[in-house]
Amino acid sequence: MLGLTLLTFIIGYYEKSGVYFMLFLLFTAAIKSFFIIHEYMGLRGVSRLWRVIMYGWLTIVMLGISIPYLISSF
Amino acid sequence: MNAVTRLSPGATFEDEPRLLPGDLAIWFFIFAELLVFGAFFIVYSVVRIQNLSLFNEFQETLNRGFGAINTVLLITSSYFVVRAVQAIKRDDKGACLNWLYASMGAGTCFLSLKTYEFYVKFSAGVNLDTNTFYFFYLSLTMFHYLHVILGMIILAAVAIKTRRGRYNALEHTGVETGASYWHMVDLVWVILFPLVYIIK
Repeated sequence: MLGLTLLTFIIGYYEKSGVYFMLFLLFTAAIKSFFIIHEYMGLRGVSRLWRVIMYGWLTIVMLGISIPYLISSF
Repeated sequence: MNAVTRLSPGATFEDEPRLLPGDLAIWFFIFAELLVFGAFFIVYSVVRIQNLSLFNEFQETLNRGFGAINTVLLITSSYFVVRAVQAIKRDDKGACLNWLYASMGAGTCFLSLKTYEFYVKFSAGVNLDTNTFYFFYLSLTMFHYLHVILGMIILAAVAIKTRRGRYNALEHTGVETGASYWHMVDLVWVILFPLVYIIK
């Protein structure tokens, strides 16, 4: 997760922009979020309902962020 | 009916779904908070496409280094809390307390850096009325900042109760409850940082 954070910072530092960078940055954020939910919050192994709620939230937020960005890019 | 008779043939206790860590009430609070932050993130993205050049221009005024350091601090702090929960499950109250202090230390560094960032912006005359970008930047980050303060208060309360010997290997719901809330604060920042500071 720290490596992905460093990568995010480097992309920001060099002011990279565009659809692919946006998707990559959201993808790294999604990986980190998944890890926090799965390992840190301890949702690994809990009943499916709670996992669906948490990962559903993550999926909706990621789509809700990326779709407007994609619309603005095309 | 006892727990053994509820298991299906061939199943073991490990196959049974675990309960959510900590108090169930905190999870309803966490879901409510995540809904609010999620809606905020999506609205930010929608408003951004209507003010593309403004958002790109003023995003450059943010200190990305501070944002990255704050991300590292919160992720590290969350890891420390994980270790605190593991320690209390081993009945190692001393280690639990040390990990909680370490986590609060990282949280304090986060708050200090964020306070300085706000100080710099407010000194430059930036406020909620400056423009749409700063309205969202200040609203989102200050809302999150308040959650970090609340998380610190919860961790401090957990540390005090741990020191008084209220938690042990069998009863540690309070530690897990505080930990779950702290991880939520980390989870929100992990999305907020690239969204507000980096993506353009």
